[in-house]
Amino acid sequence: MTHQMHAYHMVNPSPWPLTGALSALLITSGLMMWFHSNSIFLLVLGLITNILTMFQWWRDIIREGTFQGHHTPIVQKGLRYGMILFIISEVLFFTGFFWAFYHSSLVPTTELGGYWPPAGIKPLNPLEVPLLNTAVLLASGVSVTWAHHSILEKDRINAIQALIVTISLGLYFTLLQIMEYYESPFTIADSVYGSTFFMATGFHGFHVIIGSSFLFICLMRQLKFHFTSNHHFGFEAAAWYWHFVDVVWLFLYVSIYWWGS
Amino acid sequence: MMALPLRSLSRGFASAAKGEHGGAGARTWRLLTFMLALPSVAVCTLNSWLHAGQHQRPEFVPYRHLRIRTKPYSWGDGNHTLFHNPHVNPLPTGYEH
Repeated sequence: MTHQMHAYHMVNPSPWPLTGALSALLITSGLMMWFHSNSIFLLVLGLITNILTMFQWWRDIIREGTFQGHHTPIVQKGLRYGMILFIISEVLFFTGFFWAFYHSSLVPTTELGGYWPPAGIKPLNPLEVPLLNTAVLLASGVSVTWAHHSILEKDRINAIQALIVTISLGLYFTLLQIMEYYESPFTIADSVYGSTFFMATGFHGFHVIIGSSFLFICLMRQLKFHFTSNHHFGFEAAAWYWHFVDVVWLFLYVSIYWWGS
Repeated sequence: MMALPLRSLSRGFASAAKGEHGGAGARTWRLLTFMLALPSVAVCTLNSWLHAGQHQRPEFVPYRHLRIRTKPYSWGDGNHTLFHNPHVNPLPTGYEH
């Protein structure tokens, strides 16, 4: 029986990159069909194939790493580089929306009245729910650190408890934002103020949901004994992503909610 | 090429925020969670609900830069935003009730 003479992971052929790319095509063309031809079929098909791809691809990675031992230290290092680069790309994504916000708010046009917030816009009080949201996310950063240390110290119960607290705080944030969106006196259609506000906070909220889901998967894996005290990269990736989401919120709070009011 | 010192990152952002804690373990972070972080959330929650109340609905002024409709929305009657609240969100023609 032949064995590989190196510590790298030669991944078996997989259909998921193809199904992922096809789902991306279906989603983009599906959006066009929805916007311009009043049909949601392609979009729904795209979303379903996208979710199926994610589920199966990441399931395979867990199988390869946790059950088949392919994630040696050098493979793990590559995964770390990958996650860091991905988060950097997300930072650049948000940079665009912040650029749009500052471009519009630093030199408000005459159509808006020449001032910011524009005429007729009553911004949200930054010291009410937005401040609560800040406390919620900062608290979740503390609890996810508690979770990490618990994993490092082989404390199963505390790791589970800490993850539950973190995910609950993420859910609380999401519910608060949905409520804020519904109660807000201004909408996305209310000048460039509404556009920048809802694009930036909307994408952020989407990322909170992604981060909470990632942490939830970590909770399921922790319950199933996948993580060891010195090998738990999936959790670390989730924690890094969560901190990133927290930092984006802090920028949103200071720029849009506070300075922008 | 020198490998990046990523091992230090595998310890997470343990020493970030809330100042240096040296060899702070799980017990310290749990204490911080229950003694500082969650009580702060509780205080902010209280503060928010105390200030909630009934906000005065702003008078409708048909500004041209607000309630922009360059294309009908792809849902409903095409004239309501996704999180439309009839009580506080007027349509381009004014409040609905």
